[in-house]
Amino acid sequence: MLSRHQRMLLQCAPISEARVNDRDMRVALHRGRKTEEFANQQNFDRALAELVRSIPIPQELKEWVPPEAFLSPPPRSWKRLVRNPAILATGIAIAVIAVVAISHLIDRMNQFPGEPTARRLLTLASSTHSMLLDPVKTNAGSLGDLFFMKHRLAHYDVPEEFADLQTIGTRVFDDEEGQRVAQVWVVEKRMQFFLFPAERDAKTGAIQHFNDWRFIDQEGWSGVVKEQNGVCFMATLRGRQKDLAPYVAKPKE
Amino acid sequence: MLADARKAQEIFHAMLRAAAQHSADGEPPIDRLWFFREARERCLEASGQGLQAEEIDLEKEEIGAAAPQQIAKLEATQLAIWISAAPDPQRSALALFYLDEFDQAELLAITESKPAELAKLLSNGRHEFQAWLNATVPLAET
Repeated sequence: MLSRHQRMLLQCAPISEARVNDRDMRVALHRGRKTEEFANQQNFDRALAELVRSIPIPQELKEWVPPEAFLSPPPRSWKRLVRNPAILATGIAIAVIAVVAISHLIDRMNQFPGEPTARRLLTLASSTHSMLLDPVKTNAGSLGDLFFMKHRLAHYDVPEEFADLQTIGTRVFDDEEGQRVAQVWVVEKRMQFFLFPAERDAKTGAIQHFNDWRFIDQEGWSGVVKEQNGVCFMATLRGRQKDLAPYVAKPKE
Repeated sequence: MLADARKAQEIFHAMLRAAAQHSADGEPPIDRLWFFREARERCLEASGQGLQAEEIDLEKEEIGAAAPQQIAKLEATQLAIWISAAPDPQRSALALFYLDEFDQAELLAITESKPAELAKLLSNGRHEFQAWLNATVPLAET
């Protein structure tokens, strides 16, 4: 049974099969061929087209300049454009530049004040053994008082995200730039914490603050850094960022 | 479209001149359909200066299985006269359709009609031509 749309298509079905370019038309033709009405129509159309072809064309017209001479060149399809070596090379170059630019942009977005120090300490973390530290078994959150009372380090507080973790040991030392650094070893995942002074502006001496957690990776170690009250806290472990991400995913209630 | 070889030839030459002029102006025709659109417009313009076909309801008959035999007895000029006497846009639709040069989309573009409209023009044309054919070449003669 032919639909109304298919009947409409059959009424203007091209006489030659070569002129059928449309899927709907092909389906309509497939169905229509089973009907006598359409068979009569096709025979009728073919006979008329044959009659039209029999009309003699004057020799003068046959010898006229072919219409292609006047036509504008066909627009280049994107497939042909892509195959052009010059365009292909340009495309690859643009893609490489774009990748490098995006990579730089991502790097810059991840940069934060104090990152060089954080990277140095990340290297240190990979070579530190717990034996170097003074044994202290308590909650990491309570170390702030110890650092203040014993070493006069103000605001060297472990953020609440890591405050409940049990410590193994701590130490305080001066790094190569003479900054006081506190190092803490905790039981969970053999993580290490570092607390160090936040970077200051070279001209004004003002602390360069940043609010959120920043991730760094280096030689199989990952760190997550946050600045608070002029002191940077960094939690590190051997692994990937995703191992640290759950700790800083949302603030503790 | 015109059933007049001399007029058709004049239009053909005028169309060629127009195409050459467009090319010289740096705006060559964008595709081959341009020639057919141009030819159609010029034919309509030329025929508009003469007698006009009236839109009347012609007799229609079902297309018969013997139609090809009836058509075989016709002269091409008889068909040309019949088509040129049809009112436009039916005339354009029939003339371009039986050239057997276009797919449906191209035909719609040149005739500037919608699919349902084109289907109706062609269908009516066939049935009207069959009625004329039956009158001109009766079945008993085939």
